[in-house]
Amino acid sequence: MEYIVVSLLNGVVHGLLLFMVSAGLTLIFGMMGVLNFAHAWFYMLGAYVGFTLTRLGGFWLGLAFAPIVAGLAGVLVERYMLRRVHKFGHAHELLLTFGLAFIIEEVIKLFYGDALVSYQMPNYMRFAAFTIFETNYPFYRLFMGAVALAMFAVLYLLLTRTRVGIVVRAATYRPTTVEALGHNLPVVYMAVFAGGSALAGLAGAVAGAFYPTGPNMAVDFGTLVFVVVVIGGLGSVVGALIASLMIGLFISFSVGLNVSIADLFGLVGLGPWANDLGGLFTLQLSTIANSMPFLLMLLVLLIRPAGLMGDRQ
Amino acid sequence: MIGARTIALLLVALGLLIVLPLLLSPNLLNAAIKMMIAALFALAFTLAMGQAGMLSFGHAAYYGLGAFAALHLMRAVEQKLFGFPTPLIPLAGALAGFVFGLAFGWFATQRTGVYFSMVTLALAELLFTLAPTWNSLFGGESGIATMRGPSWGMTFGSDEEVYYLTLGWFVLSAWCMWAFTRTPVGRLALALRDNEHRVRFLGFNTHVARTLIFAISCLFTGVAGALLAIANEAANYTIFSAQASANVVLQTFIGGAGTFFGPALGAAIMTFFARITSDLTRSWLLYQGLIFVLVMLFAPQGLGGLVDLHARRVRANGWKHLVAPYLLCLVVGVLLVAGLVFVVESIHVVLTDAYLAKRTAAKGEWVPYELFGRSFEPFSPLTWGIPIVLLALGGVLLPIARRITARAWLAATREEPGETHAPPVATDAAPADAAAAGQGARP
Repeated sequence: MEYIVVSLLNGVVHGLLLFMVSAGLTLIFGMMGVLNFAHAWFYMLGAYVGFTLTRLGGFWLGLAFAPIVAGLAGVLVERYMLRRVHKFGHAHELLLTFGLAFIIEEVIKLFYGDALVSYQMPNYMRFAAFTIFETNYPFYRLFMGAVALAMFAVLYLLLTRTRVGIVVRAATYRPTTVEALGHNLPVVYMAVFAGGSALAGLAGAVAGAFYPTGPNMAVDFGTLVFVVVVIGGLGSVVGALIASLMIGLFISFSVGLNVSIADLFGLVGLGPWANDLGGLFTLQLSTIANSMPFLLMLLVLLIRPAGLMGDRQ
Repeated sequence: MIGARTIALLLVALGLLIVLPLLLSPNLLNAAIKMMIAALFALAFTLAMGQAGMLSFGHAAYYGLGAFAALHLMRAVEQKLFGFPTPLIPLAGALAGFVFGLAFGWFATQRTGVYFSMVTLALAELLFTLAPTWNSLFGGESGIATMRGPSWGMTFGSDEEVYYLTLGWFVLSAWCMWAFTRTPVGRLALALRDNEHRVRFLGFNTHVARTLIFAISCLFTGVAGALLAIANEAANYTIFSAQASANVVLQTFIGGAGTFFGPALGAAIMTFFARITSDLTRSWLLYQGLIFVLVMLFAPQGLGGLVDLHARRVRANGWKHLVAPYLLCLVVGVLLVAGLVFVVESIHVVLTDAYLAKRTAAKGEWVPYELFGRSFEPFSPLTWGIPIVLLALGGVLLPIARRITARAWLAATREEPGETHAPPVATDAAPADAAAAGQGARP
């Protein structure tokens, strides 16, 4: 029981964090079709901006300016770089953003060094929200979850209930028609990209204070954010939320489970045979927890390529 | 077919490659081996990407599988389970690449475009996450290591022998791939890239064709991986990383995916660049990232594309217009790069712990710092003046150089009366050239 409740809690919070990081990419990759490999690096940028401003003027200042800085960086990248290479296709966009990821990471390393920086939440937020099975559950985890949920609500309402959202969604289906109707499409794209980057920046400022902030924080998310977007369905915010929660729960549950395929064979009496085979059959589920997202993504791509909530193919 | 001039050029290049080990230091010889392996990997990748338009984002999977297949074979030979000549070990890589290419490719090629890239990425990431925990096959986190066995009267103890082995396989594989592009299936690949619907209407089974082309690309990727395994005598799970997959894509596009030998050129140059700069500076990834971005922005067709453009468009006597402007571009590029490198390296030195310790020892004074074997005062006008002058001069000259080069390009490619008109000249010729020389880095 304890295992289930704790795994559930951790999984949900981890999933919500994943949603925070990948929500922006859902817009960028899902709506503009830009394979933005540098997305996780905007998350890293947000964390370092948060760290710097926390030292200068407090935690909330960092939280306010991290999305602004990341958003402005997004504007520059879209306006002066991506727009130029858009006509050459996906590969060029991917490679450009790949180069950008290098640049962001190296410039940050240049100024902050290779070691972790001590980006901490303010002390008044450092308390246990409640105690469960004799473990204190930190309030800040709940705070991160709340930010993620707020982000989801704002995005969802913005996209489905406002004129801006209608224009943005229309632009993904019929860009030329939207342009013919008098909407300034380049500005729409720029705004979407900036918004997506800003969300990543905010996620960095929020999560960086809890998780380690260091040069490796972006690489860990680098491909995982694509997994979320693909599983959720391109451009679907709801899908991204579901996919993030799924992955978070999958990982947190499988980390604690020491079962292997051989054990499954054991149920029908073939256990010793499968154990003899070794290899893939005796790998513990807990050790391959990190493979789960990719297995899930593969299944989704082969069975339902549009993703859970996607409606395009 | 290819002209006599191209054949002569290729023979000269081959001759150079054969005598190269006599001229190189051991360190450079090792770099040359790695360059050739990277070039072969890029060529194999281009077979799927450039020819058939399949942007695989997980080619490191087949590279790694080829390497591990070769390592396991070498281990079996080492343990005297059976005999197998060392020079033929890349065949194991080829087999592994082909088999897994067929199996994985069957799934991946059911999707096209971005979805195809995502499937290949997922497959490679699966291997990357599984390999460290799968001890029997991939040797856990430390990987597996073995030794090259002697055979055919050679010990394979020295880098020279490995170099010639790699060269032999490189030439053979490159020729096979080139020949493949001339076969009906190879031509079909081009058709698949351009219009898959029409190919299907013509009665071809496009899924089988795409799987086959993908598997052949993986076959040669496996050869490259096996050669790496032979050269390093070891491999671990990092060979499957998304970084490795992305590297080959980047190298291919820097070289120019639209040409046959461009990717090999790009891979060789970037491998060499990484090898040299990673010894010199810790910020080499920053410079590498800048090169990626600049090439994508200003020379999207890659180096091979630029060479190709010049070969096709510049008239026989057009070069006299271009030499001076290109020299000017080179000067501008050198100025900007020098300024940028000075700034980056200065920041780097000043922010190190070693420098901080010196400052603490000097009671917080801004002590001079060492750079390029010289000592600089952090606040002297000279220290600030060098990069400012370099960057300002480069910045002022850059638009001028662009204008002059654009004009010279027009003059050099002006058509004689009566010639048919080709697409308009790229106005980006000037920055493209600056970036192509790897010199266009602007702060």
